[in-house]
Amino acid sequence: MRKLAAAGAATLFAAIAFTGQAFSFEPKQTECVAPANAGGGWDFTCRQVGKALYDLKIVPGPVQVTNLAGGGGGVAFAEVVAKRNTNNDLIVAASSATTTRLAQGAFPGANQDQVRWIGTVGADYGVIAVSKDSPINTLPELFEKVKADPKSVSFAGGSAVGGWDHLKVLIAAKEAGIDDARTIKYVAFEGGGEAVTQLLGGHVQAFTGDISETKGFVDSGDLKVLAVLSEERLPGEFADFPTAREQGIDAVGANWRGFYAPGGMSDEAYDFWVNAVKTTYESDEWKQIMATNGLMPLARFGDEFDAFIAKQVADTEALSREIGILQ
Amino acid sequence: MDVLASLADGFAVALTWQNLGLALIGCFLGTIIGALPGLGPSNGVAILIPLAFTLGLPATPALILLTSVYYGAMYGGRISSILLNIPGDEPALMTTLDGYPMTQQGKAGEALALSGIASFVGAFFATWGLVFLAPQLVKVALLFGPAEYFALFTLAFATLGGIAARNQAKAVIAAALGLGIAMVGVDHQTGVPRLTFGEIHLYEGIHFLIAIVGLFAISEVLLFLEHAKGEAPEASATKLNRITAPLSMLKKTAGAMGRSTIVGFIAGVLPGAGASLGSFVSYTMEKRISDKDGTFGKGDPRGVAAPEAGNNAAAGGALVPMLALGVPGSGTTAVLLAMLMALNITPGPLLFTQQPDVVWGLIAALFIGNIMLLLLNVPMVGIFVRVLQVPTKYLMPAVAMIAFVGIYGLSGSTFDLLVMIGFGVGGYVLRKLDVPLVPVILGILLGNEMEKNMRRALTISDGEYSILWGSPIAITIWVLAIVGFVAPVLIGRFLRPKKDVTVSP
Amino acid sequence: MSDRILGGTCLVLALLYIYFATQIRVGFISDPMGPKAFPIAIGVVLALGSLYTLLRPDPEPVWPKLGRLGEIVFAVVVMVAYTYALPEFGFIISTTFAAGFLSWRLGATPFAAAIAGVGIALGIFVVFRLILKLSLAIGPWGF
Repeated sequence: MRKLAAAGAATLFAAIAFTGQAFSFEPKQTECVAPANAGGGWDFTCRQVGKALYDLKIVPGPVQVTNLAGGGGGVAFAEVVAKRNTNNDLIVAASSATTTRLAQGAFPGANQDQVRWIGTVGADYGVIAVSKDSPINTLPELFEKVKADPKSVSFAGGSAVGGWDHLKVLIAAKEAGIDDARTIKYVAFEGGGEAVTQLLGGHVQAFTGDISETKGFVDSGDLKVLAVLSEERLPGEFADFPTAREQGIDAVGANWRGFYAPGGMSDEAYDFWVNAVKTTYESDEWKQIMATNGLMPLARFGDEFDAFIAKQVADTEALSREIGILQ
Repeated sequence: MDVLASLADGFAVALTWQNLGLALIGCFLGTIIGALPGLGPSNGVAILIPLAFTLGLPATPALILLTSVYYGAMYGGRISSILLNIPGDEPALMTTLDGYPMTQQGKAGEALALSGIASFVGAFFATWGLVFLAPQLVKVALLFGPAEYFALFTLAFATLGGIAARNQAKAVIAAALGLGIAMVGVDHQTGVPRLTFGEIHLYEGIHFLIAIVGLFAISEVLLFLEHAKGEAPEASATKLNRITAPLSMLKKTAGAMGRSTIVGFIAGVLPGAGASLGSFVSYTMEKRISDKDGTFGKGDPRGVAAPEAGNNAAAGGALVPMLALGVPGSGTTAVLLAMLMALNITPGPLLFTQQPDVVWGLIAALFIGNIMLLLLNVPMVGIFVRVLQVPTKYLMPAVAMIAFVGIYGLSGSTFDLLVMIGFGVGGYVLRKLDVPLVPVILGILLGNEMEKNMRRALTISDGEYSILWGSPIAITIWVLAIVGFVAPVLIGRFLRPKKDVTVSP
Repeated sequence: MSDRILGGTCLVLALLYIYFATQIRVGFISDPMGPKAFPIAIGVVLALGSLYTLLRPDPEPVWPKLGRLGEIVFAVVVMVAYTYALPEFGFIISTTFAAGFLSWRLGATPFAAAIAGVGIALGIFVVFRLILKLSLAIGPWGF
């Protein structure tokens, strides 16, 4: 036993001595909390980033992924705030869904200042699409049709009402001059894939989702993308899609993916993680993963990310209030 | 033929020693995962994804490993259903109805061997269906909108009368309890929480695995505790006559296997239906067709063959929309789909032409895995039945602990464990009162889908109810439900002289 | 009598359920059917099934003697304690105690039960943690 302790102490000293030059914080047993069941989107964010962190030798051992499901991420958020507030070896996967729920008060008693926001690893931009046989060719045309006869267009999306897929349509509709959110018919399905099939089957008239969900159907020509909700045209194979902005509808919607850490994390550890996520994001390995997953560049780290989150929460809250989801 | 040539190429891809080894490991782990209560195909595959990551496997071998786990878990679920009356996962639920009675009659070996063969038949023909019919079937799947799905789920509920229950009123209570539990959580179509009492852990609803494990596994442990130390509750029939299925039994069940394979496959292909619906409808349909002597629910081999052929065929069918549309039809295919994306493969209409290596390699792997599973499962029946020889005083604590681990590993939530214990106590009381547990699970599994699709349909039609029977497919399903299931119950009630049907089992 | 209690309990449950369903706060945006209709319908079905059972009960089941019932209650208490112990003391220690206890109450001698507890805990740990890499509860000592 004493021998073991001595060995442990020795390694500890060695580790401190070794890394002293780079950071005053040295991660030990790192952990990434995925606030959903195994196999979901956050789970993959954790696993892929965790693998990259280890492969790039940023962390000493494999990142332990822990699933902490419930409440759309709210259970993990509450657990981190209440029980693991000072853990320096912990990061939690997050996305626009996290900020949407924070903004709409869906995590009881929680706000974004209770945790420290680390950075993004990319974003999935929103799209509004119709099937290839649809007579509609541009986003303004679609909203004209909605204005003329709201009952003639049903939008299918993969999130619940008030969720991200729904909000994207509402943002665009508001910019297109439709003030009453209730006139937009939105049908919630389980995930973007199911929503797309409903569009292809002719059961609904329009689709709202993320670009990664539509890639296969755009390639096969089954889907006509009316607009991408990005600031400017996306790079590479997505460059053909017009933005909503260039069609005169100033709507932007990016579903970012990234991480937050416990609020009581030390500044040294926080700096380490910001740098770790940034290094991962900039690596060639990660660029490859982004390309395969349809993730687009979106780089916000540290304080900048914190400000980005604050703005997104405030914007979503204002929008939700305006359209009546939040009272 | 084009398809056969592609398939041959697929076998060329799949038949390497490494891939065969991975398939064997996958089949073995999958069978175990399926048999353990609380671990089913979907979390089984999810659990093994990191393994595929750490091994650094390229796309095809990784898929071969994970689909072998998938098929293996579908095979494995039946083992605990038959031996312990505890479904290993949700598609194996129906197998308890006749599988456990067979075990009580000392026919565990036959039941396991028969169900292994039925699983093989279902999976084998479903894989052929995947080879030849995928493109056409996808077109059919697209015809299913919310109204058609609503009709389909109502059909599933209409067949509830087909489940063995001595007292139909209690089956109704059970189903209503399940449906009621299904309503808990944030409502998708309005975004408001329902019946959560402000408890954030309930916002996502109650996972059906928690209910299954609590109702079946935990309550089983409590039932055993009821009896004084060392005294077995029922003469647990450990005498094992044989560990293979006699030829006469295979002959008798061939029709059941064939019909169930078709039904299961169709249910699997529809992305909104899934494997559990496949096994469920297979069982009730088979009971309706062949249960002339009232032997279903009392250890009829056809009642074992039907749901097993059905759920394995559904597992194969579910790969059709996953590969050809990129749409998961079940929890497991959702996980597989996420894995595909992580491997730089975009599922969808072009997958078959753009990445034929992956697709046909995968299909070839399914054939290989399926044959491996048959070879693995039939001789292993002798080992599986040994479980029954483990004294309950050691077996039941292990079952309980595995149940806890399975649920905790899925969500990492203490709250979920407490809910599971609650289900255990509830399950114990319901069992004592002779309330069937299967309808509770069906209510939880199907209730949400039924409501969601009805409300989606009505949203699309602006509240016009006629959309619910507005297409030929919907009308066909309604007619089937009424003629096949509702009418016989009503007519039977009418014709049968009034007598109490409470005959002891 | 048991069935009458079941029917009565479920009837009360159904009425409570319908009451809570009517209390669901409908948001600003709602679909034509709304979030209340389905739960209310389920409550009605449950009430009908309960009424039937209340009026036409089955024969009485065999309930265990009071002592055995206490055994069951105690086992449930142990399982709840186990649930809370998991994150505090880790998987192996909590499981050893819980499994050992259940084994003892199911008729094993205390010594055999202790062995069974350790064996079950270690066996599950090997299969789930070391082979399947599932995240089990980690206590202060890392297992």
